[in-house]
Amino acid sequence: MVGETLKFWLMIAWLLPLAGFVVEIFFGFYSKNPRHSKAAAWCAVGCIGIGFLCSANALRIWGNANDWCVLEVAEHSNAHADPAHSEETHDADKALADHDHSDADSAKGQTAYSGVIYTLGVFGSLEVTLDYYIDSLTLVMFTMVTLIATCIHLFAIGYMSDELTDEYVDHSAHTADGGHVHRPGRFYRFFAFMSLFCFAMLGLVLAGNIFQVFIFWELVGICSFLLIGFYTERKTASDAANKAFIMNRVGDFGFLIGLMVLWTFFGTFRFGDTVVDDQVVDQGLFSMVHRDNTGNLTREEFTGDVLITDTHGHVLTNEDGSNRQIPYYLMVVVGLGIFAGCVGKSAQFPLQTWLPDAMEGPTPVSALVHSATMVAAGVYLAGRFFPMFVQEVLLTIAYTGCITLFLAATIAMVATDIKKVLAYSTISQLGYMMLGIGVFGWAAGLFHLITHAFFKSLMFLCSGSVIYGCHHEQEMPKMGGLLWKMPITAFTMLVGVCAISGFWVPFGLEFSGYHSKDAIVASALAFNYANPAHFLLFLIPLLTAGITAFYMFRMWFYTFVGKPRDQHVHEHAHESPWVMTVPLVILAVFAWFCAYGGESGRLYLMLTGDEPAHVAAGVTAATAGGIVLPGHDAIHAVHGQAGTWALIAALSGALIAYVLYGTSVVNVEEMKRQLAGVHGFLANKWHFDELYDALFMKPAHKVAAFCAWFDGAVFDRILHSAAKATVIVSKWDRVFDENVVDGFVNLIASATQSVGTSLKVVQTGRLRQYVMFIVLGVVALFAVMFTTFPG
Amino acid sequence: MNPDVLLSAIIFLPALGALLLAFMDSRAVSQIRAVALGFTVATFVLTLLLWGQFKYGEAGMQMLVVKEWIPTWNVFYRLGVDGISLPLVILTSLVTMLAAVASWSINKQHKGYFILFLLLETGMLGVFLSLDFFLFFVFWEVMLLPMYFLIGVWGGPRREYAAIKFFLYTLIGGVLMLIAMLMFYFNSGGTTDSFNLIELAKAAAGTSETLTSTLSPNLQITAFVLLFIGFAIKLPAFPFHTWLPDAHVEAPTPISMILAGVLLKLGGYGIIRVAFPLCPYGAYYAAYALVGIGVFSIIYGAFAALAQTDFKRLVAYSSVSHMGYVLIGLGVWKIGEATGKTVNPDMWLMGINGAMFQMIAHGVSSAGMFFMVGVIYDRVHHRDLNQFGGLMGRMPLYSGLAAGLFFAGLGLPGLCGFIGEIFVVLSAWNYSPTLAIVAASGVILTAGYILWAMQRVYMGSEYKGPHSEDITPINGRELTVASVLLAFAIILGVFPGILFDMMQSSTGALVDSMQLGYEKAAATLNELQAMR
Repeated sequence: MVGETLKFWLMIAWLLPLAGFVVEIFFGFYSKNPRHSKAAAWCAVGCIGIGFLCSANALRIWGNANDWCVLEVAEHSNAHADPAHSEETHDADKALADHDHSDADSAKGQTAYSGVIYTLGVFGSLEVTLDYYIDSLTLVMFTMVTLIATCIHLFAIGYMSDELTDEYVDHSAHTADGGHVHRPGRFYRFFAFMSLFCFAMLGLVLAGNIFQVFIFWELVGICSFLLIGFYTERKTASDAANKAFIMNRVGDFGFLIGLMVLWTFFGTFRFGDTVVDDQVVDQGLFSMVHRDNTGNLTREEFTGDVLITDTHGHVLTNEDGSNRQIPYYLMVVVGLGIFAGCVGKSAQFPLQTWLPDAMEGPTPVSALVHSATMVAAGVYLAGRFFPMFVQEVLLTIAYTGCITLFLAATIAMVATDIKKVLAYSTISQLGYMMLGIGVFGWAAGLFHLITHAFFKSLMFLCSGSVIYGCHHEQEMPKMGGLLWKMPITAFTMLVGVCAISGFWVPFGLEFSGYHSKDAIVASALAFNYANPAHFLLFLIPLLTAGITAFYMFRMWFYTFVGKPRDQHVHEHAHESPWVMTVPLVILAVFAWFCAYGGESGRLYLMLTGDEPAHVAAGVTAATAGGIVLPGHDAIHAVHGQAGTWALIAALSGALIAYVLYGTSVVNVEEMKRQLAGVHGFLANKWHFDELYDALFMKPAHKVAAFCAWFDGAVFDRILHSAAKATVIVSKWDRVFDENVVDGFVNLIASATQSVGTSLKVVQTGRLRQYVMFIVLGVVALFAVMFTTFPG
Repeated sequence: MNPDVLLSAIIFLPALGALLLAFMDSRAVSQIRAVALGFTVATFVLTLLLWGQFKYGEAGMQMLVVKEWIPTWNVFYRLGVDGISLPLVILTSLVTMLAAVASWSINKQHKGYFILFLLLETGMLGVFLSLDFFLFFVFWEVMLLPMYFLIGVWGGPRREYAAIKFFLYTLIGGVLMLIAMLMFYFNSGGTTDSFNLIELAKAAAGTSETLTSTLSPNLQITAFVLLFIGFAIKLPAFPFHTWLPDAHVEAPTPISMILAGVLLKLGGYGIIRVAFPLCPYGAYYAAYALVGIGVFSIIYGAFAALAQTDFKRLVAYSSVSHMGYVLIGLGVWKIGEATGKTVNPDMWLMGINGAMFQMIAHGVSSAGMFFMVGVIYDRVHHRDLNQFGGLMGRMPLYSGLAAGLFFAGLGLPGLCGFIGEIFVVLSAWNYSPTLAIVAASGVILTAGYILWAMQRVYMGSEYKGPHSEDITPINGRELTVASVLLAFAIILGVFPGILFDMMQSSTGALVDSMQLGYEKAAATLNELQAMR
């Protein structure tokens, strides 16, 4: 019953933006005065705002239904946080690890609800449906997305207001004669696309099966395409849009492979079990693999195949009585495949290059789509699908995240476009989240997802405010000294910068990033202790924590303090209107305090309420020398140590940035010259674009040209030769026909004729003469007969 | 309406219209158009009636009509409809109706054009509804001639070449089909069911009461190969596809719509209605080749599309690519060596359903794409992809609709192209992981060529080609066609169950009877081996 109610409220929140899209796009197009009306914007804000209220309401209902057990239980365990005690509880947990899932649920009240929305197709026993899956993670994501989206929509009303005209001059799009493109404003279209995006994003979060995730995965992708390419007149924008979509499709190719394997071996895509009247009516994937008390998947003894079980851990059988199982390597394929999708969507190495280009879209888009929500969907999915990941997959995730976070941070150090800095920082932070999930810090990764969503969308909006205030100037070298020109923007951005750097403040007022980044670094350190070979997974994030603080403060100092570097820009700069600054303030509050209380705070506890069952206890290595995954207590034990290290790194990064960019002690230009090689390498983004161009784009076009050529040069040539041969044969046929066949016929004809002509003379008409011929003829015939047939 | 009358009425109503047109004054252009359109609309309404009378959940043929036609040869006039043909019949009448609306752009010899157009519709509907092999063949050939003239007279500059190429290819396919048909005829001993597709199928599965002698497994393979090549030409599958780009490029827009929207589906329909049930063992034997050709067509077509500079040629190659999924879906039939039973029959069922869905979806999306190319061609009279650009600003509504239809072709979820492709691909791993992976990689290439084409045509700062002054916003007639197609694309994409519910029983029955047919053939083979 609660499930139905939750579904109702979340469906409203989900579908309202779709309705908004339809209204905005049609009324925008057909209304009399679409170019000057803000109606579309308010419609969009209304839809997503109501969506937020619905999500909050759903959260309330969910909590009341289970008496907020998530918060209580955890508070309880936190109250007795002494190591010995927690050891004890975990031992108890381990002993209970063989429990069936429903028991665990009943112990704390039902927190996850799933069911069918409607059916797409049924094929015998196979059923493809649209489902919903609502647990604490879904609700937190819903609330976060709708809240941030509402703020960003509001901000966009101001930011996009120059589109409210019949004659918009696009200074970045040039016509062949060198002029600028003049076009009608497209205010309503922007908000229509934003609404469509919200619909797709919420659908992704609500999705109750992995196939449905894929559907909305693609839909957010196309919305991202539409929004990146919003300024369709700009070649750079349409290029970036294509790049984003196609690179995502590369990841989705892997996703598809994962889906195929899942479908073939499990025959379902559902996450959770659908429970009706305490009976499991549809089993989901998560209960089909079972973990034993070491945290490893139950496997067949001899083949090592992973066994597929029912909800109680009993192995399911095929029709012929054999056990249902899936080869272990295919479990790895599933995990890597799904993760490949996440790599594309979350712009992880090696598919990271599309995200910086995606900054071609209007800044609110960057804030919503390309920092807070869509790109985080990859992390969300990695978290959601966590129960199906095996160690090899987790290790891949960890290393991918590790490479990404370092690579992007180094590029961010030299970027000069304010949005590009933020874009690389987003990639880097997404890398942190992936790393967190990969090193078994499930909660840490998702915790960072939420905090990052707030502070990064805040910073993007701040950058948007700066860009708006500076009349669409994005290059930081032309800014400087804007602090008192736009104080609200500057100070809210400072909150964001401190949050991402993870600064500690006494009295529990720590910035949100402090908690979440610490959680990740602590997980990495615990992982490092458990698996000393993978020490890079701790060192690199630690180092990058310093780099992060460096480039973020560099950006802030560059933009807001120092001498104005471009008088023109500085003179015309102004603070943005209330419709833009209010969202900044709201987001700043959340960016600072959303993680209040850290790991005993409400956000963290809500998030971890439905943590996958095996996370708490950790996983012992399945084989000698295998990967050990640290449990909660192992992570707790190193938390303080990791936090200190991370804080030191961040502080030193910030200090260096202050020295270089906040004061004039060091000549930065001189340094740049000294390090020209490194700088060039970083500024060229490690040459990934060139590499991919040479490796994939050019060969693809070559193959394409070959295929097209092949059709004409081979198939058609064969065909044409056949046709020509036919024509030649026909010609010969004609010659033969006319000369030989016809000649023969004509010969006979002419012979007949000449015989006839010669016989004409005997046709005299005289009867007696004819009688004589007959008599002679008869005699001659008889003579012949008797001579030839004697006897 | 009485089913006897209904089925025949659906087939021959367009022909009646053609007859009526023949008596009209050839200068009365608007009347001719109106009459032709009226008949296609009426036919569409009749097919909707057919849908209304169709009984869901019934596996076999419905509304059977059996009349004697040429008794000495045991040829009958047999019609009927089931879950496999019904969606295609509705698709045919829909696309033809929209093509008739699109035919306003035809500017010469209107009377002849519409007469042939209506005859073509009769031929297509006849193929989908006939259950007698001979009748099927007759309609198959009936379709050919109007198409030949429609391309050859009303086409572009190289129309004669394209028309003759189309004609020859299809004719060869027809001849191969004829040979196979005669094989079945002489094998069945000349009873009254010799051409009865239903009984022949039952005979192959060993469930027929009237026909007992069937082709030997080896002959089944021969017959299947003949039929398959005949149908693969129409589909078209690599390497029989080169007639398609030429035919499409030269054909006038409405004819391209019909060609892509309906004619290509005849190939897939032929395989599922004739080749599969009549030669189950042959189908199993050739399954790997089917899937392999399908996969290769997807990749090859996509690459070839990527290299095109002619907008219409690009869309034509996208058809080659998209129809590859049909072959995969049909062919993913795996028999367990030990058990002799289909492995995961539900997966194959899903593949067949996906293939059927893909046919319908492609009918909608490719007709739409061709129409959208035609709309811009009517204005600027060229199709060079490098000489467009900026249409989003010049024709926003048109560009928006076109984007929707191209996204449907790209296989975007929520639009029709997605469901068919994804269901086919999902069913393929069970058959062959390698082929499945290659097929799945098509999603990248598809995104590549479609987005790149859209970028060159719709985006950009300004229009770069000739006749810039002729670019006018989309008109009401064009808007109707495009929005109807887009609406269908969305409805099918969001509620694919509409189609799956329709097909379910029939495709399920097909899977079962194919299994029986395989077992029967396998038993025969075992006997032969035992005798040796």
